[in-house]
Amino acid sequence: MIILYVALPLIVAGILPLAGRISRRIIPDILANATLLFLLVWTAVALRPLISDGPVVQQISWLGEQVNIKLALDGLSLFMLLVVSLIGLGASLFSIDYMEHYGAKASYYALLLVMIAGMNGLVLSADLFALYVFLEVAAIASYSLVAFGLEHDELEASFKYLMLSVVSSAFLLIGITVIFGVAGDLDFKAVAAALRELEAGKVVGIASAFFILGFGLKAALMPFHAWLPDAHPSAPAPISAILSGLLIKVSGVYALARVIINVFGLTPALSEVLLWLAALSMVLAAFLAVGQKDLKRMLAYSSISQVGYIVVGLSLGTPLGMIGGLFHLFNHAIAKGLLFLTSGSIQQSTGTRDLNEMGGLSKKMPITATTNLIGSLSIAGVPPLNGFWSKLIIIVALFQAGRPFLALLAVLASVVTLWYYLLIQRKAFFGKLNEKWQNVKEAPFWMTASTVILAFLCLAIGIFFSATIKTWIQPAADVLAEGVQSITGTWGF
Amino acid sequence: MIIQTALLIALVVFLALALLLRDLLKAAVALAVASIMLGIIFFRMGAPYAGVFEISVVAGLITVLFILTIALTKPGEDVKESKLADIVFPLFFIAFIIIDALVMKGLMRKIPAVPGSPEGAAFGDVLWKGRTLDLIGQIAVIFAGVFSVLALLRKRNKHD
Repeated sequence: MIILYVALPLIVAGILPLAGRISRRIIPDILANATLLFLLVWTAVALRPLISDGPVVQQISWLGEQVNIKLALDGLSLFMLLVVSLIGLGASLFSIDYMEHYGAKASYYALLLVMIAGMNGLVLSADLFALYVFLEVAAIASYSLVAFGLEHDELEASFKYLMLSVVSSAFLLIGITVIFGVAGDLDFKAVAAALRELEAGKVVGIASAFFILGFGLKAALMPFHAWLPDAHPSAPAPISAILSGLLIKVSGVYALARVIINVFGLTPALSEVLLWLAALSMVLAAFLAVGQKDLKRMLAYSSISQVGYIVVGLSLGTPLGMIGGLFHLFNHAIAKGLLFLTSGSIQQSTGTRDLNEMGGLSKKMPITATTNLIGSLSIAGVPPLNGFWSKLIIIVALFQAGRPFLALLAVLASVVTLWYYLLIQRKAFFGKLNEKWQNVKEAPFWMTASTVILAFLCLAIGIFFSATIKTWIQPAADVLAEGVQSITGTWGF
Repeated sequence: MIIQTALLIALVVFLALALLLRDLLKAAVALAVASIMLGIIFFRMGAPYAGVFEISVVAGLITVLFILTIALTKPGEDVKESKLADIVFPLFFIAFIIIDALVMKGLMRKIPAVPGSPEGAAFGDVLWKGRTLDLIGQIAVIFAGVFSVLALLRKRNKHD
């Protein structure tokens, strides 16, 4: 039952505030983590065989009568469900100890699960308006989660995020209206077929511009990135991990790829626009990250830069580029999730995010220092970690497509990335221990455990990259590489 | 045409007022008036169901919620809830829902469906058989809103 991915988190979210009255901590912890663990295991074990004969479009029955809940599962949505469940679980495990001092754990987990339900619904939706509705579900939950600490900075960041997000939603709605006006339908398959028949190039161009603006804002592609460096650092660490690791990818990159590549079809002009926007993000955000003193702000700029890599790979339009882009999406989700979590461990132990105040923390927090190093090297693209392989594939794909200049830019941005991640490592963990941190201790069990799991994944995926690509990435990349054909040809009842 | 233009101008004016007025109460009322304008425009353009919903839900229910929230959170005033309010409000709320439902039912019977438009099909069919997934999305949005209020308006106690 694919609907489970939307219904289960919502049902548990509905129960949580009541459960929170019985037990303020333990029951909410168990309920939220068990839900996410179940979804992860279900994705890894039960869903893959379901699409072995091709994509599944399910129509749900209710009391014997057909209702129009139409959900579509193909290689790409399966892959995204895996990413959502995995990072969601990592952040949720971390929250067990980290969210203790915030209070209102039941409301926190409820919002987290609504956000997960929103992302799952977005990934599974088979029409433009449902995609928009679930994008809003995830967004509304995320505004509150950014402001969860209730401090001035958090409320301000949340408001800024809300304002820019509303602009993004407006662009998306206009885009959807234009497409509905031309195609007379919102269903992906019907829209793709209608646009093909009508040959409405200009209208599709206008709609594409609205969608690129809307999803570009959600993905924080430059020049639509202004909200991210404020919003992501202000949120509690596990939420920063989900926002940077998941939300910008699901409601930005995935939605953009699904609509532009699978429904409209990637034209050379669209490809060119996206490539240059992404290249701009990749390089400029890397340089902007170098100048940051705030650890989480540096990570936020890094996210903008890495989303650039992902979109470069996807908008290249070649099968290898698609594999590289999606693989980097997976690797960045894990590594950036990990880094935001370790930043949370540091912030909780020291009470600061200022890199200049830190120093020598590896002596007091050896596990956090090690996991942070693994995450940093992974994003910077150092072998044999997972990030190395995805960046390598993107760079090879750029050369293969006759884009040596963009390939060089990707290498340059990668060198800058390594530079600022080593800066973090040096300023925070290496060197002489700052006297202020004499009494600092390693993070509590669940916080450390979740970072260790994610660091282990960075290493394991790096070593078994070939198997990972074959099992999860290739089927997803095939869906994108087939373009419109993958929806008009194989999505049926 | 003149009436339509006047309605549109009024809509924009009241929406602008809702944004510009500093007094939240007045802003909420301006929004309600704008909503009524929009509802009338919906009626005139042959979308009676959208009009009914716009007026009953947005101009009615949501305005009531806004005004209640503003009344409860006005700065500088320590609003003490009397026990009477605890009883009156739920009763008022239930009465509102019942009257609203009856009025809507009556209106929907009287309003002829416009042939050829998507609303020519029975309204329930469109909503339930056509856009059910959106309803689940709407439920999720309401959940997100309620949990946000619970989380953001919480009191941080010593224990937390």
